[in-house]
Order: sequence, then structure tokens, then C-alpha cells
Amino acid sequence: MPKSESEKERIISFPQMGSLYIPVCAALEAMGAKITLPPPNNKKTLSIGARYSPESICLPYKLNLGNYIQALEQGANTIIMFQAPGTCRLGNYAKIAELKLKELGYDFEMIVFDLYKGKFKEIIKKFNRATGNKSVAKALKGIKIGLAKFNALDKIERELLYLRPREIISGEAQKTYIKGRMLIQQAKTVEEASQAVNQTMLEYKKIIIDKSKDVLKIFLTGEFFVLLDTFVNMDIEKELGILGVEVDRQIMLSEWASQTLIPKWLRKKETHKERCVKTAKKYLTRIVGGECVESVGDAVYAAEKKVDGVIHVAPFNCIPEIISQCILPQVSKKEHIPVISLLMDEHTGKAGLITRLEAFVDLMRRNKQQQTANLALSGSV
Amino acid sequence: MKIGIPRGMNYYNYYPFWHGFFTWLGIEPVLSAKTTKKTISDGSRIVVPETCLPVKIYMGHVLDLIDNKKIDVLYIPSHQSIAPKIYNCSKIRGLPDLVRNVVKRNFLLIEPTLDKSEKNQGLYQYLYDSVAPLGITDKKLIKKASKAGWECQNKFNAMLRSGMNLNDAIDKIIKGDFSVETQEEKKKYSVNVAVISHGYNLYDNRVSMGIFDKLEKLDAKAYAPENLSVEQMEKGYSVLDTTLYWANENEMTGAAGYYMVDNNIDGIITLTSFGCGPDSIMIERITRFARRYNKPLLNLTVDEHTGEAGFITRLEAFTDMLLRRKRETIIKSLSKQFGEQKEQKLSQNQTVS
Repeated sequence: MPKSESEKERIISFPQMGSLYIPVCAALEAMGAKITLPPPNNKKTLSIGARYSPESICLPYKLNLGNYIQALEQGANTIIMFQAPGTCRLGNYAKIAELKLKELGYDFEMIVFDLYKGKFKEIIKKFNRATGNKSVAKALKGIKIGLAKFNALDKIERELLYLRPREIISGEAQKTYIKGRMLIQQAKTVEEASQAVNQTMLEYKKIIIDKSKDVLKIFLTGEFFVLLDTFVNMDIEKELGILGVEVDRQIMLSEWASQTLIPKWLRKKETHKERCVKTAKKYLTRIVGGECVESVGDAVYAAEKKVDGVIHVAPFNCIPEIISQCILPQVSKKEHIPVISLLMDEHTGKAGLITRLEAFVDLMRRNKQQQTANLALSGSV
Repeated sequence: MKIGIPRGMNYYNYYPFWHGFFTWLGIEPVLSAKTTKKTISDGSRIVVPETCLPVKIYMGHVLDLIDNKKIDVLYIPSHQSIAPKIYNCSKIRGLPDLVRNVVKRNFLLIEPTLDKSEKNQGLYQYLYDSVAPLGITDKKLIKKASKAGWECQNKFNAMLRSGMNLNDAIDKIIKGDFSVETQEEKKKYSVNVAVISHGYNLYDNRVSMGIFDKLEKLDAKAYAPENLSVEQMEKGYSVLDTTLYWANENEMTGAAGYYMVDNNIDGIITLTSFGCGPDSIMIERITRFARRYNKPLLNLTVDEHTGEAGFITRLEAFTDMLLRRKRETIIKSLSKQFGEQKEQKLSQNQTVS
């Protein structure tokens, strides 16, 4: 590497996706990197991204590109892209984004985390390259704190999903969650992160909930990015919480992180994907890329677990999710479980979304009432 | 014994192989009828609207085989990857799964998987899975049959390289004929156009609206990706500064790259179906480099509602533009030459006088 380049201080940035930035920032900072974060995904990001994207590309790319442009405007000179082992258009993102940004006249270096190749090693190697860090100990420390934050975030999020439909005063749990997230973000060590979790849990305890409330339970599944980013899914979890529905989101950040990072022989528990491949077998025998097998597998699993319904979210024109969209009605019919597919794109209106959610919730509620009525009838006879 | 093969998707790339393979084993392959309006509407009815046109058409052909041809054994292969880590589009990969879930009829689905990224999903396993449900399990026999398949496929490729239309070449394979298009009957065309698309779009006359005939009428010679060899298409990647990512990218990026720097080609037409995922990225790259290389490019997107009139108008406008551009460059170079000669003569005259 020429000297001038190594002398130049790197300012790193990466795309936004839900609260992914907290653990990733922690890992990068522990390795001594300087970071500039683009603003969380919003309308402006999307409109910038959409302006420079191919017309019929999927939504996550448009947002990523918007993030990059905003970050580069803020002075970043190194951008990171994750390339997870899902074989859809995602594998092309880095290539086209780099070309487009260079064409727009930005000067930067793009570092691609290709998780196709040896996963853990690749991560450390690329992290080192991005941060200029040389010591392995430091890198391990960075990854350790990153993973700790992944777990911490998931813990408080799970609790939030439980509390939201049951709380008496709507919105309290959300406030506590946001406070907790701030605490986790500020934590410098693993201990501090776990302390932040404990503190938040205590706060959660103070919220008055209605334990006897008849809460519907649904599985939320679908495409990864849409599931995890609250801007893209229009805070669907919150809306469902207000409607009195407990959401069991099938992909949590920490699970995904450990699934992609930790090698197979070290794992003890069955991963989410393995479970899905097993349950989806009846309908989908092949892994076709993206999160298709997860969507179908989760729907079947939901029926096995006697959950009230499944909500499937995906960006418009996502290749793998079109297949799951075609298959899910069949699953719904044969397994007797209500399933709805919601597609998100840059024009989706929130009002329409809420109307559809309300209708779906009504349907599930009636379904449940009928089931209990039937049970009572058969019991009396 | 009969086996039904829908006339869609991979049919346009691999049918000759399947034909040779199955007939050698004494199985009669039965094709669905050519795409009609009804095929498209029948197919569209059973899948979600977002699905791309070729898959809808494929479903229509599946229904045609079951309902009209009364075939109850269907051959619907899944081509996962053609080389390590080179995967196909999800819809091609999950085609049998899609059919099993959306086609609500009684039939035997033969769904072999070809996956070169996995250890034991190679060609012979794929072929074994293709005929094992029909009771043929002798591996030596299958190996011999595959040779017959390759023979057909090689003949087919040779015919394509000579410039023959793909549909004519398949017809010849079915009849057992083999002939190469001779270069002698070369007609002079006013412009040469490369038409870039996947086989299932280009040679399905419902989708491409007979683009070859239309160009012929406009006095334009059409070159197709199928006329190129694999090596030529691989050269195209370096022109477009990219590498192979999709399994069926050769016929798009590779061919476009090759024709992009071919001086014989006056312009490029790309034809994609609306909502095609891989194409959205490939077309973006082709468009960008066409601008860099200063090559005229026409992007056509089709779906089930595309009207023929609009299609023709755009083709006419494009070929007109190419012709004018060509004429202009010729005039320019001529006048330059002429001007130089004039100057030379003048200077000669001056020296003489």
C-alpha cells in the first residue's frame, strides 16, 4: 500500500439497518476506528438512493446507496458493505454501488465483508483492514463487545415485544426501550452492557401490565432487512402492539450474527435456518437464496406451535420472496393458519398498511373465538 | 412412456440434450403447445402478480401439458448452480417447488436438482434423479444416454453458432437433421443490430413479438447471443469490467460486452421482462458502458400487457436512427478523404506550377 494512503486517516461508515449500528460501532471503535454514521433511514435517504438506483432494484439497495451518499457527504472516506451468504441480488450490491458512487465523483475505498469465504477469519481480516488495527487481541476484544451488544439489544427488545400489547398506558415500554438502547450504545465494556440490560429490565418491571389480557400471538417473518429496519417496515411491531398483538419476530440480530459468525461445529443449538429447512420440507425442498426457506419454514412452524397467525413482510420485487409469496397461500390452506404477505416499497402508505393489519387482526380474533367456541361445544357433548 | 416438458425457461437452452437423453432411453418427450394469449392468462392466474412474465408463461405451459395433452408425468428440473458459487435466479432454482405448490392437479413431478456448488449434486446425480422415478436406475445405461444427449446438444450449439434461429435448430434436432447455415447466401443489410436477451424471452414469439422478423422487415440484420461461443462471451466480461455472478449472465452481460466493441454492430437492443431481478442489474451495467463506448442502445421491457404497435414504433425509430448515424459517419469519413485528396492535388498542382 502506498504511504500516502496509510497516512490518511480513515473515516469509516456503513449502511444503516435498524439498530445494527450499535454493535458494529462498538466493535469498530474498540479497534480504534473513527466512524461517521449516516442518519437513520428516512424519507430523504430513500429519495436520494432511489434517484441513483436502477429502476426495478429492490428497496434495501436504494436505502444502502442513500446511506452511502449521506455518509460520504459527511466526510467518510471508507465504506463497508456486508455481503451475507444469501444468494440473491445482495451479492451484486457492492459492485454496482461502488461503480455508481465513483461515477458521482466521490473518492473513497469500499471494503466488502464477503461472508462466503471463511467467515470468522474474513471478518477479522477485513475489520483490521478497515481500522488499520494490527493486534489480534484488540480485534477479538472488538468482536466480543460487538456480540455482547447484539445480545443485550435482543434481550431488551424481546421484553419490549412481550410488554407492548399488555401495557395499560400505551407507549411506556417503548420509552423505556429507547432509554435502554441509549445505555447500551454508551456502554464501553461487556460488563457495562449487561449492566445496562439489568437496569432496563428493572425499569420494565415498573410498567403496569394487564396479565390476564387475551393477547393474540403472531409470527413475524420475511425478508431480513425489512424485518429489522423500523423505517422500512413502518414500525409494524409497534402498530401490532397497539392492536393488542404480541409479535414473535423470527429473526433476531444476535441469532443472525451468531449464525453467520460462529462455525458449525461450535454450535450446540439448532439454528433458525436449520429449523426452517426442516419444517419447510413439505412445501419447499430446496434452498433458493434469500430468506425464502425461512419464510416458508416459519409459517409451517407457526402452525405447529398453534400461533394465531403469520405476517410475512418483504420488499417489493424481492426475487426469493416472490417464491415464498406463491407458496404461502398453500401453507395457509393446508396448515390452517392465517397468513398475510405485506410488500414494502418507496410508495407504500402507512394508512393502507394499518387498515390491512386491522383487518387481519380481526380475522385472527374471530378465528380464535370460533376455535374456543368449538372446543367448548365438543367439551359439553 | 411419455414425459411432459413445458416449453419455457430452460427449454430454450437445454431441450436438445433432454431430447437426446430421453429418446435414447425409450421415453418420448412431449412438448406443450407454443405460447398463446391463453397460456399467459392461465399461468398468470395461479401465481402472484409480481412474478415475472417467463415464470407465468412456464406455469401456463405446465397447465397446457396436464389439461390439454393429458400428460401426467412432468419433467421440471431445478438448476441451482452451474459452477461453484455461480447461482441461478431464485425463480429458476425453485421452479419445481413453485409448480408443486401452485398447480393443483394430479401428476408425477420429476424434479432433479443440478447444483455444482454441492458435492453430490453433479450432472450424473441429476440425470439419475431425472429417470429414477420412471424406473430406470441402471447407472451405466444413464451414462450412455447422456452421451446421446450431448451429441444432440453439440449439434444444436454448432447450428446456433452458424447463425441459425434457435427455434429452427430445435426443430431440426427433433427431426434428427443437422445442417449448418452457409455464409454464401449473405444478403446486404443496411444496419446490423445485436439483440440481447435470455433465450426464453427472445425465442418465445409471444414475448419478443417476433422481433427477428420485424427487424428483417426493417432491413436490419439481427445478431443474437446464441450466435456467440462461450469464449467470445467471456471476453465480453472484461469489456464491461465485471465477472460472472448469475448462472445465466453469459447471454446478457457477456454477449452485450462482446457486441459492444464489435465495429460491425451498429446498435444493441436489450429485451427484458418486467420485474426480472438479475436483468435489472445487468441492464444497468450495459446501459452505463454503452454510454462510455458510444454505442446506441435500446432497452425494451415487456410484460403481459405490452402492445405490439408501441413495440414496432420503437424498433422503427431505433433502426432509423442507426441508419442515419451510419450514413453520417460514412459521409464524414468520405468527405474527409475527399478533402484530403483535394488538398493533396492542390498542393501537387502548386508544386508543378
